[in-house]
Amino acid sequence: MNGTPLDIALAKLTDIQREAVKWDQGAMLVLAGPGSGKTQVLTCRIAHLLNDSREDNFRVLALTFTNKAADEMKRRVATFVPGLEERANIGTFHSFCGQVLRQHGVHLGIKPDFTIYAQDDDRRAVMEDALARAAFEGKAVSSDDIRYLKLIDQMKAPLIEPQDAEARLSHLAERERVALVYQAYEEELRRLNALDFNSLILEAHRLVTTYPAIAARYKRSHPYWLLDEFQDTNDAQYRLIRAMAGDEFHNVFAVADDDQIIYQWNGASFRQIQRLRADFSAQLIQLPTNYRCPPAIVEAANHLVVYNVQRTEAKKPLIAGKIALKYPESEHIQVREFESEEDEAEAIAQEIAARGFDQWGQITVLARTRALLERMHKALQAKNVPAVIAQRRDDFLSPEFRWLAACLAQILRPLDRRNINVLMEAFNRMAEIEIAVDQIMSEAEATGEGYLSVWLQAARAEVAASPKENLLDLIRQLAADPSAARKLINDVLNVFDSALSDEQTDPDLAEDLAAWREISRDMARHLGRNIPLDQFLQQLQLRSKEPSPQPGTVTLMTVHGAKGREFDIVYVIGLAEDIMPSYQSRQKGDNSPEMEEERRNCFVAITRAKESLILSRANRYRGWQKQPSRFLVEMELADSA
Amino acid sequence: MRIARLKIENFRSTKALDMELGETTVLIGPNNAGKTSILDAVRIVLTRRWGQRGTGFTEYDVHLASESDDPKESTGIAIELHSEEQVAGEWPDALQQDLDDIAQTDPTTGKSFITLRASCAWNAAEGAFLPAWIFLNAAREPMIGQSARRMNLERFWQYLPVFYLGALRDADDEFSARSQFWGRLLKAMEIPTALEQRVQRVLDLLNRRLLQADPRLVQIAKTLSGATRVAARDRDGGVELRFVPLKSWDLLSKAEIILRNEPDWPWLPLQHHGQGVQSLSVIFLFQAFVEHLLAELYKADSEPVLALEEPETHLHPQAARTLWAHVNALPGQKIITTHSPYFVQHVPFRDLRLIRRTDNGTEVKWLPPNFLARIPYVPALDQVLANNPGLLEFDLAGQTITVNGKLEDAVYRDLLSCYGTHTDCAVIHGILCDLRDRSLLFIDNDELRALETFARRIRGEIFFATRWMIVEGQAEYLIVHVLARELGYDLDEHGVSLMDAMNNGNPTTFAVLARALGIPWLTVFDGDAAGDGYTQTITNRDFDPAFVAQRCRTHPAGDLEDQLLADGLEAELRGVLQSLGHTDALTIDMPTLEKRLEKNKTAYAAELAKQLRGNTALAKRMPQGFKDAIADLRGLT
Repeated sequence: MNGTPLDIALAKLTDIQREAVKWDQGAMLVLAGPGSGKTQVLTCRIAHLLNDSREDNFRVLALTFTNKAADEMKRRVATFVPGLEERANIGTFHSFCGQVLRQHGVHLGIKPDFTIYAQDDDRRAVMEDALARAAFEGKAVSSDDIRYLKLIDQMKAPLIEPQDAEARLSHLAERERVALVYQAYEEELRRLNALDFNSLILEAHRLVTTYPAIAARYKRSHPYWLLDEFQDTNDAQYRLIRAMAGDEFHNVFAVADDDQIIYQWNGASFRQIQRLRADFSAQLIQLPTNYRCPPAIVEAANHLVVYNVQRTEAKKPLIAGKIALKYPESEHIQVREFESEEDEAEAIAQEIAARGFDQWGQITVLARTRALLERMHKALQAKNVPAVIAQRRDDFLSPEFRWLAACLAQILRPLDRRNINVLMEAFNRMAEIEIAVDQIMSEAEATGEGYLSVWLQAARAEVAASPKENLLDLIRQLAADPSAARKLINDVLNVFDSALSDEQTDPDLAEDLAAWREISRDMARHLGRNIPLDQFLQQLQLRSKEPSPQPGTVTLMTVHGAKGREFDIVYVIGLAEDIMPSYQSRQKGDNSPEMEEERRNCFVAITRAKESLILSRANRYRGWQKQPSRFLVEMELADSA
Repeated sequence: MRIARLKIENFRSTKALDMELGETTVLIGPNNAGKTSILDAVRIVLTRRWGQRGTGFTEYDVHLASESDDPKESTGIAIELHSEEQVAGEWPDALQQDLDDIAQTDPTTGKSFITLRASCAWNAAEGAFLPAWIFLNAAREPMIGQSARRMNLERFWQYLPVFYLGALRDADDEFSARSQFWGRLLKAMEIPTALEQRVQRVLDLLNRRLLQADPRLVQIAKTLSGATRVAARDRDGGVELRFVPLKSWDLLSKAEIILRNEPDWPWLPLQHHGQGVQSLSVIFLFQAFVEHLLAELYKADSEPVLALEEPETHLHPQAARTLWAHVNALPGQKIITTHSPYFVQHVPFRDLRLIRRTDNGTEVKWLPPNFLARIPYVPALDQVLANNPGLLEFDLAGQTITVNGKLEDAVYRDLLSCYGTHTDCAVIHGILCDLRDRSLLFIDNDELRALETFARRIRGEIFFATRWMIVEGQAEYLIVHVLARELGYDLDEHGVSLMDAMNNGNPTTFAVLARALGIPWLTVFDGDAAGDGYTQTITNRDFDPAFVAQRCRTHPAGDLEDQLLADGLEAELRGVLQSLGHTDALTIDMPTLEKRLEKNKTAYAAELAKQLRGNTALAKRMPQGFKDAIADLRGLT
């Protein structure tokens, strides 16, 4: 076939997919089942919009849920319309809010180089300082009030502002105090020029609602919006979109599958989909054809999901569309039964081991809980099968990389007392020394020198003539000339790298090194090779510090982690009552929303398989007799008990 | 899009300067005041390849307060360009979208703006002056992340292309095939292929015919071909004579302008016309370039910035006067330097910038429509702002208050009281006090309009003066002019503008104008009710009474004639009248004499001035008020 990469991609689409891609003005909801090519539809649409407007300068906004998904979309758009990808503003909700706040946050008193506190430790420390300050100012708070942090998160997530907190907590006796603590916490964040994850959405929402001129400007510069995985948007994210759009703007193109909502606990709901259709008068296109899974899996998925009632009416059942199948029909779905969870893990590990290196990289084991995955992980390791439990990592595992990240932060924010603490403690562990934090702080304050430089001197005396001294030198150079960060950080990484090959292997350090390099590579590819240090750090804070698995590694995941992924061979283990569905959901009742969410978990799990799906269960878990999962029955793969 | 505001720090003769720029801005000031360096600042920021090695400023560009200062110790050069919509939505979609990363939005007015800061400071580690650039946000802090990508700078340049026409415009250069406008215009011209081929055939044919015209030409060619035989190794080259261009592009590149000033005069190439016409034609060439090629070379929404030095070069006063209208009508934004009073004559007051060199480096004075100060926001401000709509505005992000006019005492005190308990109370009161003082310089549009009407004749030259002496009428003018020379202080020589206020509006306006523009001034009025009235109205314009007492003199004896008579010049005045043909002049009584003098005021003053010339003794007997004022002019600041 001739033509541009985009022409070729468009030609390969089905008619209904192409109709979605070429949708012009107005709101559109695409209900896309698993494996229906929704990412291709989204990226083709972005590319098509850009290609049709080569003389124009407007940007296309596309929001998704993970950095990985965003990176993948950027990659595809760049392939379809080389040179135009610059006009595609693709990111996560959080990264987009970060971008808006970096550029316009000043109107709320947020400076462009704000820090993002993603970890609970950091946030607790902020809260401690906030409470101390508030107490000093004579407010009725105490250090115990740190327990309200979780409650504050629960208010920030649905965009409840501090001044409204008291009214919204009418059922709570200590509401006045909570509101006070919330206020103090927010003020402390502002003082530090820091945001937590929830603030990103909250502040962006506050910005566009307080100043409609800012929202107007985004509508002007980004006349087309695309929303990926719309079913997983929570109330806050939806309200942000709604506030930015106002009443006039309708160019919202959302792709969703209400059968794949697995973030109900976080506020995702099929009602969001109904709201979108009502608020924006969205047209509807359905993409029911599944090109990923063998027909048997599609059939099982259809059997399963009709047991849910909270889903879009008139939703079409999936249609099997995959043509080339690698394995015989007998291998498309297999069910295994074991006596105990130990047997289950042992036998599945054995089966996987027997498949050999060539298949390992294309295998995933999915389970409802992390405990099952850990048992599975051990069993695989015992058989010398490389395996990794995939999970978002908010921080690095090794002191080396925590130290490096803290050094960069300290260079950008020389007065950050909390960060210098992290930095020193990490280095103390790395170098097995004991530099007293207090001593450095008081010396710095007495001499008026920066924390970092005082510490560098002290640390240098402690580690003289060891390879660590080299690291200190590099940081000193970096502090003197942040514009050379790229090269100097690379030098630091090389020091770590050679330490890895010299000494005994340190798996944490090795993983962190791989993760850091991967993150830098992704950033270089999508944000440019010479992004300034402050932006590098903000991105680092937003991204998971987990490296991609080595080739030939079996991936173990919870169903939530598997969202949006696909593998040749999928094992779903623990298909027993009280496991999947969980005990809690059964307590809520057979027709509860929780039970439906469990069913969708199962739906998502089985539709990850491209070639072969193995479902397993044991008769006993933790010594308790368990019935086969009702989902096996619903899928017509087991008889009802 | 155009530059609304320009800030310069530590650049050449400028230590710190902050000026607004309009659609057209005219810079006037003595040589070496720093006019060209202001044009250069704009030009360099908008053209230099910032961030690449060797593109920054050099140590010679760094402002030094004294000979012994080390440029490496300086905080460095910084130049800030601020571009802002005049009304929200003014910038076209394409521009707004293209510059989305760097454009900021005023959240209340919805106006977009962009601020670019280019800087250069000594970097000890690199051993060089390192250039840097960054876009600023609404709080004038650096924008980071994707806003800091270099492509944003390149895009910004695309929308604000800057062109420079120096004082030494040479038509030969500007109309050459390699020049910035003419050369690019010619290259852009599209000749259809068919026509090009035909032209080629005609050229070849013409050449052959010419060659055949005289047999000697063929012989000459033959002889010359010896050169190729010597140079070439084995095969023969060839030599031909070409009388007409070889290719059609050569033909175009040799295009020249011919013109004639009158219909029946002969056509002449531009280079054979006078310097004035040549210089003018270059300015119009710029217009042609913008109209026909700018959008093609830059963006459809690009607006040029023209830095134009001395457009009046070589022009007759009449031409210089009308030139303003043409230059003003040129497309895009114009920043112009001039030394021509004729050119300035029609420039609106608010477009003028007086540039001069002070101990603090280059300084700019003008008549701003508003005054700004940076003070922190406090909630109490809201009420004061609400009480003074139109007068006061506050920009939260920039923490900047704007006063659109004069800050009256009551409002000033309300502002002060907002900060009564503020921790930085003293500092803020200082800032507000300075703001109030600056706002006293405000001159409203009505007063300026009156001045435009009455003072057109002299307004060109007064801006070029270093001091102003204001007198009532023409009689005073005639006498003082000569008197000053006789007292050894030639007004023209010392750049003093002597103005007869009554013929040009009123003296008060000149006094406030002089104050706003930083021009030292003094007056001598009649010692009568009218004269006292002038002094009083001046005092009422927020001048310190002690200062007015020092600057506004009156004749103690009354009006000019009273004073001259009181100074014992009766005999001379009678003589003057007689020489003017008043035969009874020596005999009329005093009241008649006074009346006669008043009736022939200008005539007697002119005659008296004539007699004053070279007559030191008479000069010494002239009114003390004049003599004192002239003495005061020396070293008046």
